[in-house]
Amino acid sequence: MKPAPTLSSAFLEPAGHSLPGPLLELRKQRGTALVDMPLPTRKTENWKYSSRHLKLTDGLAASLPATGKNGLSLSLPGYRVVFRNGVMIPEASDFPDIEGILIQRFGDLDDSDAAALAERLDNTLDTRAVQMARLNSARFEDGLYIRLDKEAVLDQPLFFVHEVTGTDSGSAYPRIYVDAARHSQITLVEEYLSSGDQPVMVDSVTEFTLGDGANVTSVRLVMEGENVQHIGATGVRQAANSRFESHCVGFGGPLRRHDLMVRLEGEGGECKLNGVVVTQGKQHYDNHTSIEHVAAHCNSEETYRNIAADQSHAVFNGRIHIHEDAQKSNANMNNKNLLLSTGAEIDTKPELEIYADDVKCAHGATIGQLDKISLFYLVSRGIGRREANTLLTMAFINELVEQIPVQAVKDAAQIRLNEFFDQTFEEA
Amino acid sequence: MLSIKNLHASVEGEEILKGINLEIKAGEVHAIMGPNGSGKSTLSQVLAGNETFEVTEGEITLNGENLLDLETEERAREGIFLAFQYPVEIPGVSNLQFLRTAVNAMRTHRGEPEMNAAEFMKLAREVSKQVDLDPAFLKRGVNEGFSGGEKKRNEIMQALLLQPKLAILDETDSGLDIDALQVVSKGVNALRADDRAILMVTHYQRLLNHIVPDYVHVLAGGRIVKSGGRELALELEERGYGWLGVKDEETTPSAAS
Repeated sequence: MKPAPTLSSAFLEPAGHSLPGPLLELRKQRGTALVDMPLPTRKTENWKYSSRHLKLTDGLAASLPATGKNGLSLSLPGYRVVFRNGVMIPEASDFPDIEGILIQRFGDLDDSDAAALAERLDNTLDTRAVQMARLNSARFEDGLYIRLDKEAVLDQPLFFVHEVTGTDSGSAYPRIYVDAARHSQITLVEEYLSSGDQPVMVDSVTEFTLGDGANVTSVRLVMEGENVQHIGATGVRQAANSRFESHCVGFGGPLRRHDLMVRLEGEGGECKLNGVVVTQGKQHYDNHTSIEHVAAHCNSEETYRNIAADQSHAVFNGRIHIHEDAQKSNANMNNKNLLLSTGAEIDTKPELEIYADDVKCAHGATIGQLDKISLFYLVSRGIGRREANTLLTMAFINELVEQIPVQAVKDAAQIRLNEFFDQTFEEA
Repeated sequence: MLSIKNLHASVEGEEILKGINLEIKAGEVHAIMGPNGSGKSTLSQVLAGNETFEVTEGEITLNGENLLDLETEERAREGIFLAFQYPVEIPGVSNLQFLRTAVNAMRTHRGEPEMNAAEFMKLAREVSKQVDLDPAFLKRGVNEGFSGGEKKRNEIMQALLLQPKLAILDETDSGLDIDALQVVSKGVNALRADDRAILMVTHYQRLLNHIVPDYVHVLAGGRIVKSGGRELALELEERGYGWLGVKDEETTPSAAS
């Protein structure tokens, strides 16, 4: 048997050495451990549909150069941190200094904070399951550390905008760690954008740890261009009575992959995971989620919707693992899929592992097309085909879009959705 | 206004309409009655442009324009309105959004400016009162969770908003209790106008007590077998369809097993 391919050595050369000592040390360790890491292939179960889209050519190995040039005109309300090509751009960022809340780039952390962070990085992720997150840990050049002391509340959403820009090919490794102590609250919006047309890989990792009763909302909007492969992982650990809410909205590309792993480790924890994915052309989008009910009396609710047009391909794999001691767990997972063309493909797989005997666990998955009778009803009222198709497709995801708690994200998603509808539906 | 000549239509190769001839002038109310399976609903659907049905022969013109050349939405914009026998539930699209989109599509077609949300809300509230629908229905999904009567009232509300030239009412009385029937009839009567025609498709004549037609046609086996005035409907009620040589299991007691 042919040995599994491993990562080219070109990928094992991190750039950016201005990080504090403890983080440099961590990065080095992780890099050493990567040398023999097998890359996902078709035989790797959790990459079954996506490995052939993962192109780790040597041309992508180099880090994208830092640039002061703004490729996009961003106007964001509220607090924002702007990263370009994996590195923070302080002059484009704007956030207040709030008592009890640390918001700082990795590069500016003092030694004790850096040491504390180095202790924590990777502790929310099962790195055997998220191979590409390991590459991030060996390569990040900067990152954002957010630490909320107990009862600290960030009064507005914080936008983390990661922009890929410039004329070079290469890769970027954005990294975020959010440490929310007990009863603290934050809404973090991650937006992934790009300009330019050279092949680029973005390998992002975001981690959240929630103390007792902490309340964290994560909004993730992925809108990079056709030149960008994006592999992202989000890890979450929740203590007792904490609440985590996630709203992911993603538009396709040559490869989009997101692993979202939540561990409910304290009694009374609650998570709600919403996801909307839209693909067209030959795009590929793969969402893998995993919810671990480790402690008893926790609730999880997951709702994902995929819309695939043209020859695009969407994948949803939802795992729920209820541990032996997690009695009175309540888990609900729902995945609905809409195929807008005969050439589109969607694969969905619920994966339930239940080891406790007193739990409620429900799951449902459907794949369908737009309803012809509904379409006839709409056009019989004089509504044009494009608009009728748009209304019906929006109806499929409306409930989830409405729930996004940040208006600016809703608006940005809607603009991109409208482009998708214009490109997908023809006027008769 | 509407002229149907030798109309043949089939679905999946089976011929349902076998040569329909019908002339309807502006201001007239016509009723088409007939037993189940006679082709009544097919005729309504063909007029509205449902692509499930294939027109194999004949012609339909609306004010001289060939309807068969037009897509469903174009027919609607030219003034054809079909009140569905089974209105479709569309969760996720609010009634308000649906109605406003439809009204604005018509307005754009006529070269009128679109109505903004506030203007439309005002209009929609007024019209919803006419059919006795709580304006709260506007915020719900299209027909979502509506009772049978509410769905039919919503259809009539759409007709009142869209002001068609020809309103086709497909079994609008089915599933209505007597109160709802009166509300719906009142709405339909409000539609009557000198420049508008109404075509009612119904199995029973009770609707015709409330909305008095000028002409009644009996459709059977895909053809109009008899036409007459209002009195024809009463005769059908009394005698069933049997005397016309038409079999009908529901309305001819002797045919029931």
